[in-house]
Amino acid sequence: MLKMHNIRKSYRTDTIETHALRDFSLQVNEGEFVSVTGPSGSGKTTFLNIAGLLETPTGGQYLLDGEDVSSLNDRDRSRLRNEKIGFIFQGFNLIPDLNLFDNIDVPLRYRGFNAKERKKRIEKVLEQVGLSARAKHLPAQLSGGQQQRVAIARALAGEPRFLLADEPTGNLDSLMARQVMELLEFINEWGTTIVMVTHDPDLARRAHRNIQIVDGQVSDLQHGTVGAAREIA
Amino acid sequence: MIGYYISLAMRSLRGTPILSTLMIAAIAVGVGACMTVLTLNYMMSQNALAHKDDVLYAVQLDGWDPNEAADTANELPWQLTYQDATALLRSDIPTRQVAMHRFGFTITLDESEMRPFTADARITTADFFGLFDVPFLFGGTWNADADFSPVQQVVLSKATNDKVFGGENSVGKTINLNGEPFTVVGIIDHWNPSPKVYDLNNNPFADSEEIYIPFGLHRKFEIYSWGNTNGWSHSNEEGYEGFLQGESVWVQYWVELDTAAQKEKYEEYLTGYIRQQKEQGRFQRPLKFALSKPSEWLVLNEVLRDDNRVLGWLSLAFLLVCVVNAVALLLAKFLRKAPEAGVRRALGASRNAIFIQHLIESSCIGVLGGLLGILLSLLGLGGVRQLAMGRIDQIASMDWLMVLAAIGLAVLASLLAGLYPAWRISRTNPSIYLKTQ
Ligand SMILES: Nc1ncnc2c1ncn2[C@@H]1O[C@H](COP(=O)(O)OP(=O)(O)O)[C@@H](O)[C@H]1O
Ligand SMILES: [Mg+2]
Repeated sequence: MLKMHNIRKSYRTDTIETHALRDFSLQVNEGEFVSVTGPSGSGKTTFLNIAGLLETPTGGQYLLDGEDVSSLNDRDRSRLRNEKIGFIFQGFNLIPDLNLFDNIDVPLRYRGFNAKERKKRIEKVLEQVGLSARAKHLPAQLSGGQQQRVAIARALAGEPRFLLADEPTGNLDSLMARQVMELLEFINEWGTTIVMVTHDPDLARRAHRNIQIVDGQVSDLQHGTVGAAREIA
Repeated sequence: MIGYYISLAMRSLRGTPILSTLMIAAIAVGVGACMTVLTLNYMMSQNALAHKDDVLYAVQLDGWDPNEAADTANELPWQLTYQDATALLRSDIPTRQVAMHRFGFTITLDESEMRPFTADARITTADFFGLFDVPFLFGGTWNADADFSPVQQVVLSKATNDKVFGGENSVGKTINLNGEPFTVVGIIDHWNPSPKVYDLNNNPFADSEEIYIPFGLHRKFEIYSWGNTNGWSHSNEEGYEGFLQGESVWVQYWVELDTAAQKEKYEEYLTGYIRQQKEQGRFQRPLKFALSKPSEWLVLNEVLRDDNRVLGWLSLAFLLVCVVNAVALLLAKFLRKAPEAGVRRALGASRNAIFIQHLIESSCIGVLGGLLGILLSLLGLGGVRQLAMGRIDQIASMDWLMVLAAIGLAVLASLLAGLYPAWRISRTNPSIYLKTQ
C-alpha cells in the first residue's frame, strides 16, 4: 500500500536548515492499522503530510499503491489525494461557515460526483458516525467529539483506501477519544488502511503495529509489537 | 463546478459584509468615474453617418486671404462663400448636394391661441433629406427649383409638428414664419444625430433644427446666417447683395459621390472651378480644396478634444488606484481564509481549483461593483447634464454597449485585483495551516 524508502525532508529558513525526516523508510500494508508515536518535533506530521501528498519529500522514493508519486504534478497528486486518501486532524479542521452536510460535500465536489450521488454518500457517512439529525448544523454548534466524527465522516465520504490521522484524539477527553478510536477500528475492520499519529500509549497499543519516530527516523523498523517499541524507548 | 464556486463566493461575501462592501465600493467608484468619462468620449466620437461614410463628403475650398491661411485644422475655411456655393450647385456630377446654414424664425399661426415662438431653422437645398437619410413621417421635401427661387414651403420636425399641430398630418397647412405664410410640405420623424456631423462648426451636440426651409429664399428675406460667418476681406460688400457676392464664408456644403469615378470627376470639376476663379482674380492662394468623409470631418473638427482623451486616461488611472486598493483588501481577506484553502487542498483540491475558486470570488465582487458602478456613472452623467444645462443631453447618456462595457471593465478590474491574491493563496503550502492547529 505505502512504501517509503530513504525519504528526506528538510525545511530551510533564512538561518537554519531543519531535517524533519532523514533516511526514513517504512512500509504499510493493505488493511493495516498502524499507530505512530514519538516525541514532539520528531517528524510525525511531516511523515503524514508526505504520505498524504500534501508535501513533497526533498529526496528518496515514495510508492503509493505501487505507483511512484514523487514525479507527479499537482493536479495528479490532488486527484490521488482526493480518491485514495482521507485526512483527519487534531484540530478537526471543519470549515466553520459550512454546515455538516456542506463540509462533507467538499471532497465529493472535487471528485466530480453528481448531486444525487453526493447526497447519497453524505447521508450514508453521517449515519455511520451517528450525526444524521445534525446535517444542517454548523460545526461550532457541536461538541469536539462530534466535530471529529464529522471530520471522519468527511474523510470517509469518498471511500478512501487510506486514512491518515494526525493526533485525532489530541483535543478530546478520554471518553470521546475512546469513541473516536472505536469508530476508527470499525472503519479499519471494513478494509481501510489507517495510519494514526498519537500521544496516547493506550490507543497506540490498540493498533496492529506501532512505529516510533525519533529525530526524523523510524526507530523500530521490525514488524514488532508495541512492547518491543517501548523497550527501545 | 463554476456554480459551486459562485455559491462559495456569495457565502464568503456575506460572511464579511463590511470588507465585501468596501471592496465592491472601491471597484464601483473606479468603474463609475471611468464610465462617466468613457461614455462621454464614446458618445462624442459616434458617427451618425457611418453607414454613408464612403459616399458623403464635406466640401472645402481655399478662397481665403492670399497672405494668411485659414485658421483651421487643414488650413481650409470650414464653410463656403454664398457665390461659390450657388456656383457649385450648378454641377450635375454629385448624386446629391447640399448647401445650407443655420437660421431662426419666429413662428406664428393664424387664428390660433398658440404663443409665437422662435424656432431653430436650417436653410438648405432639397437634397438635405435624401443625402443625410432624414426619415419623413408625412409628405416630403420641396421641389428642387425652390433651391434657386423663393418658394415659401417648409418642412417641420416631429417636435414642432407636435407643438404646432398636435402631431396630426399638417401637410398643406400654413404657418407664418416672421409673419410670412409658408406651406407645410413635410414632417420628418424623430431625427437627432449626435454629434451633429452635418453642422460641426456650431455646437456639435445641439439638437437638430425645428424647421427646414428652401435655399432659394435668401434675397427675399435678406437672410444672414445664424451660424458662424467668417471673413478676411472688407472690400465691396455693400448692402445685402454685396454680402451675398462677398468673400465671407457662411454656407456649409456637402456632396454625395457614389462611385470612385464620380469622385474623380468631381475633383476635376473643383480644380477647373478654382482655376476659372483664379482667372477672375479670386482664389489667390495655391490651388487647394478638400473632400472629407463624415469620419474625417469629425476628426478635423476635433469633436473629441485632446483634453477629453487625457481625461479618459486619467479616469483609467483612477480605476487602477481603486483596483490596487481592492488588491490589498482581497489579499487580507484571502489570507485570513487560508486555513480553509489548506483544508480544501487536503481534501483533494488542486492548486488550480483553489486559484479559480478565489478568482471567481473576486469576479463576483467585480460584477457587483460593476452594477453599482453603472448606477454611479448614471449619477455622474446626470451631473454632467446638469452642468451643461441641456446642451449635451444626447451624449451624456448610456447605451447598452456602454452598460456592457462597464460590467466588462468591472470584471476585468476585479480579475486583475484578484489575480495576485488568488495566486498567493493557491501557492501556499497547505500543511502549514493544517499543522498549526
Ligand atoms: N513548514 C516548516 N518550516 C520549517 N520547519 C518545519 C516546518 N514544518 C515542520 N518543521 C520542523 O520539522 C520538524 C518536524 O516537525 P513535525 O513533523 O511537525 O513534528 P511532529 O509532528 O512530530 O511534532 C520540527 O523541528 C519542526 O520545527
Ligand atoms: Mg505533529
